[in-house]
Amino acid sequence: MAEKPIQGEKRVFMTGNEVVAWGALAAQADIMYGYPITPQNEIMHYWSRLAPKHGKKFLQTEDEISAGFTTIGGTIIGARAFTGTSGPGNTLMQEPMSMAEMYRVPAVFIIQQRGGPSTATVIYSQQEVTLTTFGGNGEGYRIVYSTATHQELFDYTIKAFNTAWKHRFPTFVLADGYQAKMREPLTIYDPEAKGIEMVPTVPTLGKEGVPGVDRPPVHMTNTRNTEEELYEVVKGLQAAYEEMWPEVEEHEAVECEDAEIIIVCHGVVTRSARVAVSQLREAGIKAGYFRPITLRPFPVEPMKQSIKGAKQLLMVESAQGQLARLVKDSIYGSTIPIEPMFRPGIGISSEEIVEKVQSLIK
Amino acid sequence: MPVPRIVEAYVGEYASGKSECAINRALELLNEKEMVTLADLDFVEPFYTLRPIREELKAKGLNVIAWTTGETLGFGETGSVVRPDMRWVLSNPGHVIMDVGYGVKGSKALNLVEGSWQDPDLQILVVVNTARPMTASVEDIVDYVKALGPVHGLINNSHLGDETVVGFVQEGARVVSRAASMLGLPLVATCADEGLKEDLGEVDVTGTQVRYLKRHMQRTFW
Repeated sequence: MAEKPIQGEKRVFMTGNEVVAWGALAAQADIMYGYPITPQNEIMHYWSRLAPKHGKKFLQTEDEISAGFTTIGGTIIGARAFTGTSGPGNTLMQEPMSMAEMYRVPAVFIIQQRGGPSTATVIYSQQEVTLTTFGGNGEGYRIVYSTATHQELFDYTIKAFNTAWKHRFPTFVLADGYQAKMREPLTIYDPEAKGIEMVPTVPTLGKEGVPGVDRPPVHMTNTRNTEEELYEVVKGLQAAYEEMWPEVEEHEAVECEDAEIIIVCHGVVTRSARVAVSQLREAGIKAGYFRPITLRPFPVEPMKQSIKGAKQLLMVESAQGQLARLVKDSIYGSTIPIEPMFRPGIGISSEEIVEKVQSLIK
Repeated sequence: MPVPRIVEAYVGEYASGKSECAINRALELLNEKEMVTLADLDFVEPFYTLRPIREELKAKGLNVIAWTTGETLGFGETGSVVRPDMRWVLSNPGHVIMDVGYGVKGSKALNLVEGSWQDPDLQILVVVNTARPMTASVEDIVDYVKALGPVHGLINNSHLGDETVVGFVQEGARVVSRAASMLGLPLVATCADEGLKEDLGEVDVTGTQVRYLKRHMQRTFW
């Protein structure tokens, strides 16, 4: 067995894509399957540089459909497998992602969002929220973590493998072109040194023994013969999803208790909201922010609790209301006015948020 | 006595600080009253490049050869287009500083520059930040530099962004210096944020000259 890639912990300076590669390595991932697309390319670059040194594997497939299916294949035989993609690649990968939902395959997908529709710009956006949470045919039985910092990219890449293998739903780390490419310090670590145990992987296919003799045969199918049969299967998936929901949902609520205006955001925009809230508070304005970390399953009850005293919500996202749709569905019944600050494909600064809040409270 | 012509190409790991070192070097040379050309030869997914500050650097007196973001299309997968003045950058009079992109091809990007391998003044300098795990140890740096092709010297640019302290820069200097010795190459300089000048002084712990950096690249995302 190769030496541990990270001994203890270490302060380092990296780009987000490299962080993902190191996070997967620390999580003892066995293999990455992938097809190049900006802005996630350096996940592959760095994984394929690190892999041979640490006894890991990499397969570049012919396209994203294949990258998704091979990730499922690897996971089904018990490998801790992952892939990374973006934009049009995320679109192409929806079919294998849906299959992973149906089969309960604990595959891990890293998404670095870029602009859309279609190929659009290859840089930044938050326009893959709908696609990543509910993009497949079916009901969106996935877990989606939305990260804001390089530290979170590392932490949640590790966590994604454990959540996936514990709950057996495909699990996503959703970041963006900014997080992919920007650089900042973070602490990388061996999960064990932090008391994090990696959930063991088990093969679904290719188990020991003769099927039907030593063990029951494994029957995997994503084809259902009747409407009623499908109904039973989907209801079973729904029940399992709802059961794990409270354990998996995560959020961050900052200064919401007495806040009159609450900024609602996710991912990298949280960084601007954090600075904005701090500046607004200094100016005597009662502002806070609420941020879902899991976009699926959405932290419905924590959000309802966090916003109950607010007079106004400011929805801030680099998309035309994709987060807002998740929010509105979750807080149905709330009569708190929602002010949109939708900036599809454009970065949002703390100054812009501060200015917007100040214009709202005048 | 004419000032000797300086031709330097900055190569190195992704996010090692090549552009920051190159820009600062070009501005430093500008003080010698020679024409100084600064060329952006970052052809691999250039996200942090000097493009957004091209006009600002030109206004300081540098001859800057670079695209602007608005002039270009389809970064990353569609590749970059080499402008004629990039190909012929070495025909400029005076000093020439080249900011070469990262990538496994390393200094081979200079294949695209006319006359680079015949230029007697060309110095290819590898920028190393020991806070980057793939170039954190002497052994890793040696392996990395050996894979780059022709190289003339190393630059210690060890830092942790805004968290950098003098001790970290000095430890980086020790590590990069040992790697340089093993490679039979000089440690040309240590680069550090100008905020560290008072504590770090003119030379680092290995006796190497410290070049202080004014940070331009924080504002240059895309």
